Amino acid sequence: MAEYQNLFTSVQPVGPLHHGIDLPRGDDKRTGEPFLVHLLGRIGNAQIGPVYLGSLGVASLIFGIAAFNIIGFNMLASVDWNPIQLIRQLFWLALEPPPPAYGLNFPPLEQGGWWLIVGFMLTTSILLWWVRTYRRARQLGLGTHVAWAFAAAIWLYLVCGFFRPIMMGSWSEAVPFGIFPHLDWVSAISLRYGNLFYNPFHALSIVFLYGSVLLFAMHGATILAVGRYGGEREIEQIVDRGTASERAGLFWRWTMGFNASMESIHRWAWWFAVLCPLVGGVGILLTGTVVDNWYLWSVKHHVVPAYPLGSPVVVDPAILGVKP
Amino acid sequence: MKMIYKLALCLGVAAMLSGCERPPIETVQTGYRGTGMEQIYNPRTLVKQAPLNQAPIAAEAASPDGPKANQVYQNVKVLGDLSVGQFNRQMAAITQWVAPDQGCAYCHNVQNFADDGKYTKVVARRMIQMTQKVNQDWKPHVAETGVTCYTCHRGNNIPTQVWAAPKDRKYANSLLGDLAGQNMATKEAGLTSLPSDPFTPYLMGAQPIRVNSTTAMTGVGANANRASTKQAEHTYSLMVHMSESLGVNCSYCHNTRNFQSWEESRPQRVTAWYGIRMAREINNDYMTPLTSTFPPHRLGPKGDVLKVNCTTCHQGAFKPLYGAAMAKDYPELQVSAEQ
Amino acid sequence: MSMLSFERKYRVRGGTIFGGDLFDFWVGPFYVGFFGITTIFFALMGTMMILWGAAMGPTWNVWQISIAPPDISYGLRFAPMMEGGLWQLITVCAIGAFVSWALREVEIARKLGMGLHVPVAFGMAILAYVSLQVIRPVLMGAWGHAFPYGIYSHLDWVSNTAYQYLHFHYNPWHMIAVTLFFAATLALSMHGGLVLSATNPGKGQVVKSPEHEDTFFRDLIGYSVGTLGIHRLGLFLALSGVWFGIVCIVISGPFWTGAWPEWWSWWLNMPIWRT
Repeated sequence: MAEYQNLFTSVQPVGPLHHGIDLPRGDDKRTGEPFLVHLLGRIGNAQIGPVYLGSLGVASLIFGIAAFNIIGFNMLASVDWNPIQLIRQLFWLALEPPPPAYGLNFPPLEQGGWWLIVGFMLTTSILLWWVRTYRRARQLGLGTHVAWAFAAAIWLYLVCGFFRPIMMGSWSEAVPFGIFPHLDWVSAISLRYGNLFYNPFHALSIVFLYGSVLLFAMHGATILAVGRYGGEREIEQIVDRGTASERAGLFWRWTMGFNASMESIHRWAWWFAVLCPLVGGVGILLTGTVVDNWYLWSVKHHVVPAYPLGSPVVVDPAILGVKP
Repeated sequence: MKMIYKLALCLGVAAMLSGCERPPIETVQTGYRGTGMEQIYNPRTLVKQAPLNQAPIAAEAASPDGPKANQVYQNVKVLGDLSVGQFNRQMAAITQWVAPDQGCAYCHNVQNFADDGKYTKVVARRMIQMTQKVNQDWKPHVAETGVTCYTCHRGNNIPTQVWAAPKDRKYANSLLGDLAGQNMATKEAGLTSLPSDPFTPYLMGAQPIRVNSTTAMTGVGANANRASTKQAEHTYSLMVHMSESLGVNCSYCHNTRNFQSWEESRPQRVTAWYGIRMAREINNDYMTPLTSTFPPHRLGPKGDVLKVNCTTCHQGAFKPLYGAAMAKDYPELQVSAEQ
Repeated sequence: MSMLSFERKYRVRGGTIFGGDLFDFWVGPFYVGFFGITTIFFALMGTMMILWGAAMGPTWNVWQISIAPPDISYGLRFAPMMEGGLWQLITVCAIGAFVSWALREVEIARKLGMGLHVPVAFGMAILAYVSLQVIRPVLMGAWGHAFPYGIYSHLDWVSNTAYQYLHFHYNPWHMIAVTLFFAATLALSMHGGLVLSATNPGKGQVVKSPEHEDTFFRDLIGYSVGTLGIHRLGLFLALSGVWFGIVCIVISGPFWTGAWPEWWSWWLNMPIWRT
């Protein structure tokens, strides 16, 4: 195609690297000399670095790396310290929470004790990182919207690994650390609680998940489509509406009858993305604590479609007794 | 792109795609239209499996006339009421089904056929009783098709699909790396990370398999359903085994929108329910008592006897041998003297 | 009229693919165009057929209404109306309406002097629908493999179709698609949050600049993709998520009939490390 489609930057002007907006007193100096990566520059900014390594960041990394290592060494031990088997079976391996018998008590190390330790270390790491996202924004004089979006994700993480297990009285309800094992947990909780598709909060969360994907496709495509008018300069367009925003808004107004503004689309975006884990977390929290079978709950609320049954209708053999 | 990268990319793609199959495929609808309840088959795979599910041809029936086997032979504890001709026909069949290479000598001392010296003879006697029990008392599972020794053994001394308690890993007593009986890529778990021994609790023990509540809201106190999410993984593992054993998927028995409902399930689920109980009886009443009869090299890594699960008979087919009725040619295997 | 304050100067003729000036007008805020006409036609037809199907069905409960595809035994033939034929006609109308909508977006973009990224992106979503309801059923030999039109009934189809492969989470392309979906949502929250944090910096602060945005993410993780890059990244994450979703379901059935966990045996059995 002869026309430029605004997908890859063809000419990268290289100027002096940006060392960041000046930080207020009390902050450390930034770390690392920034450098350019040409391939990155074809898509976005080419500059990597500098990074701000504050005490919060370093502390978060320490806890996070410690958690990662405990998981890793347990996995290595589980394949009898064979590194080749570690790579071969990596996706299957796990660090498991305690078995149900221990309830909320601290179990032996090898029967979920390590999992509990990792859980608390990882949570500490994540919460420290949250404070970091809040602080970096404040120090730069920015709003804290990114931190609060992160909080929604942390909500879901804590629901799955902390709040719900406590309300259920058993650490075993929490999610194992492992690629395939955490997927088995997802299937198992749906199997145990009568099909999570019938959990209305789960359904709503999926609406926001698919909706977020839809919205970013729409918003990303729209901005790229008005790139020739400087559409990606969103802050400028918000305070001083230019032809990019006008065309972008009119595209959607003429298409679907209403439109957002250059600012409000980012509110749509923020809310859709945040509501996915927020609502989802509520749905998980209610599962097993309030509702024990979502299919039957949905039957109670008259939303379950009916299909013709087979004939003769199948009967539970347990009612008739084992001995045939 | 450099040649070496192109080559690496091609090899990688080839490796990934080498597992794939191709259309056309065959499908069987097992529920109302649009529910997605279907069985899916690759005809090329079925062609490969067909020869493994051929029933051997039965010898012509022998005459029931003449003296009874327990009058002519010594130490005949089972099948004694058969005529000598029928008895020998049955023995020839068993040899073909279980020990075609070793012949009569696999079980018998050929100098003295009555001698019980070889463990295989003791085991075979009990297995004949087991076959008779299955055919007589487990008709809700095996119907009129029934089973013979061939159903499990298929010409092998030991059925190829049996199970025993899994071996502990080398550093099992360490402070690190306890996988809690799952999270390994095992054939038993169908290559999932689900529990790798669903057989001990469910096909030997009688642990409850059902995990769903029959009420929408969480019960309290005595009414609470105390099954954990973890327990659902154990049930799931058993179900994966059952599906793989029969070469079917979950919708063969269930409408997965509501697994627990018998109303929305298919009749095959009832057959499976009896199959589980039948497997328990086989393992507890027949296999486990034989543990001390088997020599060490015929036991599992932890010294327990080799036991049956669904794959032992089904071996990937929805009915063993696709439902070929072998037992009808051996009526002596269909009547049990036991309670 | 429902025009925005700056809208009048943009309402010019041109950009149409079909029909020239004949349908080049607006109704309220909506642009019509030739494809606006076809959209209305297909959408109304399809909606009326759904309503008729509901009327012929057992309920008007919006959660329970379901129009099901034909039995698999009908193969790729037309089925009787009450035995899935209605579903087939609704599907034709749906495709007609979606494609019309996309082509209308092309006309609108051309009229506004914009790139065609939005209709192309929408095309990926249309491809997903067509893959599920046409391509995969054709590859499998029957319309009956497609999903029914019903709010909860289509979820029953998802559940059963997934369990046909015992544990659908083990489908590697499904894993990639899910990862991309969650990554897109994460990126959206970060982008929305970043722009809002610069333009709504809190009491006593002035509106910030793109340099502040870049600095925030460089301070946080050492890299900032930038104002243009984030839109390319977001579009890419979203579209490739949908793409791998298409791949993962078109493979399931036509190109893989077994349990998805079993697919991983090629990895486990590689000669260098098989046990």
